This record gives sequence, structure tokens and C-alpha cells, in this order.
Amino acid sequence: MAFSLAACIAYTFAYYFDWSLFRYDLAESQLHFTSSAASAGPPILWYGWLALAILAGAVVAWVLPARLAAHLSPDFLWLIPGALILAALMYEMRWFL
Amino acid sequence: MMTALLILHGLLAVGLLGATTHQALAATIKRTEPRTRSFISRFRATDAAAYSNAVVILFAAAVALGAVLYPRYRFVVRPLLQTMDLRAPNGAFELKEHFSAIGLLMLPAYWASWRQPLAPEYEFARISLTWIITLIVWWNFVVGQLLVAIKGLFP
Repeated sequence: MAFSLAACIAYTFAYYFDWSLFRYDLAESQLHFTSSAASAGPPILWYGWLALAILAGAVVAWVLPARLAAHLSPDFLWLIPGALILAALMYEMRWFL
Repeated sequence: MMTALLILHGLLAVGLLGATTHQALAATIKRTEPRTRSFISRFRATDAAAYSNAVVILFAAAVALGAVLYPRYRFVVRPLLQTMDLRAPNGAFELKEHFSAIGLLMLPAYWASWRQPLAPEYEFARISLTWIITLIVWWNFVVGQLLVAIKGLFP
């Protein structure tokens, strides 16, 4: 549960603040780990956001004490993804206006 | 090759749609003894927990295939949407991207919530999360189908 919740929150921060672990260059079909690398075309950030989220979730699940994790409310299971879906809807609203 | 993968992606999505919708409805409707042999009675008698492994495997496989197909979308379909000034379908796909990620990352918690024996204190959270996954799958399926047919819909 801690992994899922932390990873979902990290994913939302990742796309909102454009934190990508790496970029996939479409034109060259190559991964770039630095944002300064010259790119011939638009990069794909989604893989990097997802990788960052998985990493963040794994770190939180690893460092969070089991006693604390056991006290997480079951309601977080639907409240947090529900809120993050609403956040995604608000963030992407610009396409529909 | 890409066409075959796209068809497989669609087939996985159909299986996932059936599994998660059936599970969500069966978990929500109170189970009763199937007194009659009607479709609804049999539907209610379904063991909702039996779908969780299938949902996890199908969801992960559909997202993995989607990730393989994604560069092709960005190279071929997205420029077409921009040329045709179709902002709403573009935004719908952006949402599909985010919803897929949130759904994928919630799978471990979803799977744990359906693990036997079912924890009674997780019942409401389990059903709610199953509905969230179901709505994500429906959105992604409908948007995917619309984008595949976009040239025919907006000639």
C-alpha cells in the first residue's frame, strides 16, 4: 500500500514539475539521462516519469517502518488515487477549453 | 508488426474491460443465493475476488504493450491530431497516459486488498479502488478506440 500511494503521488509531481528520470528521443530512438542533451525531435517523458515514480515508491516502501505502514488508513486506497485523478483532469483541462 | 501489437493491445483491453467491470459490479451488488436462473442472479453469485489476478496481469500487460506502441503514436498520430487542430482528442490521450500510470502503480495495493482472506476493514476501500481501476480501464478503452478511428471520424 505504501509503495502504491507514494508512487502515485510521485508520478503526479513528476509530470506536474517535469521531473523525468530520463528522456526518450523519438528521432534517435535513444535514452538521455540529462536534460541538456541535444534532441532532434520532441522527447517522450512518460517513461521517465513512470520510472521515477516506481523508484520513489520503492524507496518509501523500503524506509517506511512497518509499524507506521500498518497504521495507514484503508481509505487512503481510494482517496489518494481519486484525488490524483481529479488533479490530472484539472491539469489537462487546458486541452478542452 | 505494430499493427499486430495494436490488435493484441486491443484484445487485452477487451479482456480487462470484462474482468474489471464484472468484478466491480459483483463486489458492489450484495451476493444472494441464485434462486432463479436469471442472468442477474448468476451475475450476483459471482466470486468477485476470483478476478483480481486476471485484472493485475491483463492491466500490466496492456500497459506494457501500450508503452511499446507509444513512440509510434507520438510519431504518427499526435502530429496528425495537431495538424487537424484536434485538441480534445490530444488531451484525452494525455489523460489516458496519466490514468494508465496511476492504475499501474495502484495495482500492488489493489492486489493486496483482494488477497484472501478478505480483510473486512478494507471492504469499502477495496470496492472503491476496484471502481477507480474500472473507470480508468473504460476511459482508456474508449479513448484508444476513438484515436484508432480518428481519421474516419474527422475526415
